[in-house]
Amino acid sequence: MSQQGKHRILMVSDFFYPNFGGVENHIYYLSQCLMKLGHKVVVMTHAYKNRSGVRYMTGGLKVYYVPWKPFLMQNTLPTFYGTLPIVRTILIRERISIVHGHQAFSTLCHEALMHARTMGYKVVFTDHSLYGFADVGSIHMNKVLQFTLADVSQAICVSHTSKENTVLRSGLPPERVFVIPNAVDTAMFKPAPERLSSHEIVIVVISRLVYRKGADLLVEVIPEVCRLHPNVRFIIGGDGPKRVRLEEMREKHSLQDRVDMLGAVPHAKVQSILITGHIFLNSSLTEAFCIAILEAASCGLLTVSTRVGGVPEVLPDDMIVLAEPDPSDMVLAITKAIHLLPQIDPQAMHDRMKKLYSWHDVAKRTEIVYDRALNCPNQNLVERLPRYLSCGAWAGKLFCVVMIIDFLFWRLLQLWQPDRDVEVVPHINLTSPQSGEEMWDSCAADERCR
Amino acid sequence: MIQMESRMHRNTYPTFPKWRKVAYGGMQPGFDDNHTDESFLEDMIMNANVVKRDLVKVMLDSVSISQYLCIVALVVLVWTYTLRDIFTERSLVLLNIVLLGAGFFVVLLTAEILSFGLLLNYFLKISFFITGLYVLSPVYQTLTRSISSDSIWALTASLIILHLFLHDYSGSTVKASRALENSIFTSNISLNASIVASLLIASRLPSRLHVFAIVLFSLQVFLFAPFVSYCIKNSSFRLHLCFSLGLMGVTLFFVYRLHLLLFIFLLSILVFVNLVCPYWLIRIQEYKFEINGPWDEAKLCFDVME
Repeated sequence: MSQQGKHRILMVSDFFYPNFGGVENHIYYLSQCLMKLGHKVVVMTHAYKNRSGVRYMTGGLKVYYVPWKPFLMQNTLPTFYGTLPIVRTILIRERISIVHGHQAFSTLCHEALMHARTMGYKVVFTDHSLYGFADVGSIHMNKVLQFTLADVSQAICVSHTSKENTVLRSGLPPERVFVIPNAVDTAMFKPAPERLSSHEIVIVVISRLVYRKGADLLVEVIPEVCRLHPNVRFIIGGDGPKRVRLEEMREKHSLQDRVDMLGAVPHAKVQSILITGHIFLNSSLTEAFCIAILEAASCGLLTVSTRVGGVPEVLPDDMIVLAEPDPSDMVLAITKAIHLLPQIDPQAMHDRMKKLYSWHDVAKRTEIVYDRALNCPNQNLVERLPRYLSCGAWAGKLFCVVMIIDFLFWRLLQLWQPDRDVEVVPHINLTSPQSGEEMWDSCAADERCR
Repeated sequence: MIQMESRMHRNTYPTFPKWRKVAYGGMQPGFDDNHTDESFLEDMIMNANVVKRDLVKVMLDSVSISQYLCIVALVVLVWTYTLRDIFTERSLVLLNIVLLGAGFFVVLLTAEILSFGLLLNYFLKISFFITGLYVLSPVYQTLTRSISSDSIWALTASLIILHLFLHDYSGSTVKASRALENSIFTSNISLNASIVASLLIASRLPSRLHVFAIVLFSLQVFLFAPFVSYCIKNSSFRLHLCFSLGLMGVTLFFVYRLHLLLFIFLLSILVFVNLVCPYWLIRIQEYKFEINGPWDEAKLCFDVME
């Protein structure tokens, strides 16, 4: 990597494959596209079961599975300084120039960003979720976020609503927060080769069946829709604590032949389920972006969704029908969507999605953020401390102490193992010249199914 | 579509098209990704759910708290008098009967639906309860006897304080139909703490009848006093106020006769609860800062039955 303007990026998050979700997806595709742009990308995450050590993924994406066990919801135990040695080693070994952390509730991300700042690296942070301001959990999370973001070079949010939320939570100046949405791999989510018959309308729901995803709304909405429209059938993919309630509803209204419950759906099968339907229903109660909607739209489905969080920004108005998170309004929206259906051409919708969203576009926009971050002035510890001090009467002082101790630990480590003693990895070009777009897309699918 | 739109705009105006709050279509021409529009945070709502409070209203509401404090203080007074042999077991039993009668009387007067069946049901339950307690009183007398008296006093005092802290002063535990509250857990702990405290005291008493009378008395008060005071409050707020003030006067009088320092302590607590705290609450209201916006989790407009 001798070319000018090419970065060596370390992506840090607790959430990465084999775990699956929006953040994992985002990191993977962003890394792949950044590598195609000529940057070097290394991912750092914690060990998943016996998947520990260094692994290579498609296109030579190097992943460090740090032997640090998760303790709750795939999060590592917050130890503040425990990860400093390994983070330092990775940063030096890989000759990293910029550190990019993902997701506000990943402890590994917060710790790595803190150490990277201590060592004088430029850091970028992407926030993938929304938080309220009322309950104790949110207040705590917001304080942690304020600590990390106090000294972050640039921040990225996935939607404008998420940016408003992040700015409010962290007190970061809005100019330092960029909005770069998620995207969808349109090559993976192609519509059905032939148009489905319009005698029977199939509504697809694919989500975890939990409270936050609005499973309780589904329980109210489905019987009403089935009563109003005798030609509607539901397919529900996903599992979760609320599945029992949905099954109860199905029994109670004797809808066994009209509501299919598929259980947990592996991500590789999502497309094949999506293309059997006409309408995609999203009932989330909170959502920063919602990749599921993109996947459905890319498969040519008309989306009906609750108007929450960043969802209204995701699709043009003629591709989505929005409703308030209220059963009667959602039933109205579904009725409206059923009337709109004859005008929807799945293939045309798919082609439009190709223009609207692409991971390559996301990578190019992220590249600009990296350039900006690298142009930020270098600051030493004394210059940075006032930023932490301004975080709050008590918290500010606490944050300062945490940073000073981190600095001392870093110096100690430098004495114990000087930077020049850390072996630098040789540069190996693993990308074979014939690797085309289609190839890594299909490989991505393989990797995720494991 | 977007390109078409932007081209159209460019034909009419030389400037760039207007920025839109959308995530699709890549970077908006003419605007960086960190563009902050004028519409930024315009959907934020501040202090939407804040209730304006009135000082007098808060003070009147806080009377129920001091009323309960006085009830507990009276229970402790009865314990003390019994332990000092000022109350005989006979007078205790008499006190129990009077209290039970008075409680029933109040409930009967204020209840909306009266039926003979319900009354019989109540009587049956209470007689079972009393019989059970009478049978078990020898056990209670010796249950914690081996624990030294110092520990008993310390434990009882801390349990009573715990009881007061966790007690549900809103009276919502009484409304069994709407018992789906989070407070049900803490109020259960509170009730248990008070029962354990009365059982601890029981082991320091000389006779079985004493134990029976004191435990029955404590349970009557701890279990039914919130219910009775809720009934009173529901039927007439003025009556509730008079009852509470009377109770406060009686308690202060007896505590004054017992010990001067305790009297000052109780008086200052009552002043704190009824005057200082309401004023404090009103004062800190102006610091209230509540933010709502599109990022909040949507609330369901119907009850979720598990």
